[in-house]
Amino acid sequence: MNDLSRKVDASFSPKSSPRGSRSPMANPLLTRNDSTGTLKMTISAGKHPAVVHSGPFYLMKDPASENELTGATNLMAHFNLEHSYNKFTGKKVRDSLSSFLPTLPGIIDTPAQLTNSSLRSLIEKPPITKEFTLLNHHQLAAFRLQPGPLPEQYRFMNQPPGQRKHKKHKKHKLKPGETPTQDGSADGSDIHEKKHKKKKNDDDKERRKKKKEKKKKKQKHSPEYPGASGVDPNRILV
Amino acid sequence: MSSSLEQLENQLETFIENVRQIGILVSDFQPQGQQVLNQKLQNMITNMQDIDKLRSAVQDVLVPLEVFEYIDGGRNPQLYTKDCMEKALAKNEQVNGRIDSYKRFKAMLLVELSHVFPNEMTRYRAVREES
Repeated sequence: MNDLSRKVDASFSPKSSPRGSRSPMANPLLTRNDSTGTLKMTISAGKHPAVVHSGPFYLMKDPASENELTGATNLMAHFNLEHSYNKFTGKKVRDSLSSFLPTLPGIIDTPAQLTNSSLRSLIEKPPITKEFTLLNHHQLAAFRLQPGPLPEQYRFMNQPPGQRKHKKHKKHKLKPGETPTQDGSADGSDIHEKKHKKKKNDDDKERRKKKKEKKKKKQKHSPEYPGASGVDPNRILV
Repeated sequence: MSSSLEQLENQLETFIENVRQIGILVSDFQPQGQQVLNQKLQNMITNMQDIDKLRSAVQDVLVPLEVFEYIDGGRNPQLYTKDCMEKALAKNEQVNGRIDSYKRFKAMLLVELSHVFPNEMTRYRAVREES
């Protein structure tokens, strides 16, 4: 059997069909005395040699079994994933990462490449794994800090989780460079600024009133002023 | 008993909360806070040890690499699941359509072959019925 297969391999040419050993026409060494011109059995050589009756027709195969799982069945229903599918496609899924992890503090919606903290880099350059050991007094001395506040740009940790986004009614829009405080205002001077604005408005009003009065007085004394021409002096006096 | 994934989730949440507290402590550091900070730093290491212990329990959890692209881009990873399901459904429908087309083609071919080769097709049907 092995000799036969070797013989076949030796005569194999790239021009012949890859199924050359099956075809009675492809290999002249394997010509059979088949009067009908059809192949009635398949002889397979190899680890498990077998003679398979494949019928009277050339290249006839057994039909695919019906119980085999194919694309003909609704695979979503087959694996009970319809509920999940409806869940994801039914309602709109928010695009930002922070909507998936609302309790995670800090700013997480920025691309990780900018902060060099991507998960992919963890796979590409895995960290050197060492055993975790508690710090001794000597090592803890390295974490001795100076009292005082941090510069504003590093204070994002103060932002309480779950309150930083998706607010429908924004009272105050943060300007770049401002950091929110616990009460939600930009820098605590919000109320003060409002009061100041109101006062400013009042000042403007008063100034405008004074100006108007001054103009009136001026017009009274001017010759063009109708009241000054003496048409109805009583009226003026009143 | 909670699953290993839930345990890992809880451990990660504890770790994150501890780090958040360190962040607050450090943002306006007071001299008397040094002792608390030292304690929290030690807690952080203990938390990392706990997370590391759970490593073996989640060895069999497979995460598709593509989902990292979503997370690294600051996007919701649920969008990846959604995209995958939509793609799978579309492919399922496409293959289903292809199978239907082949079935129709087979039926038409059998009809035509029966017209041209009636004897052979009778034999073919007989063989198919046997198998």
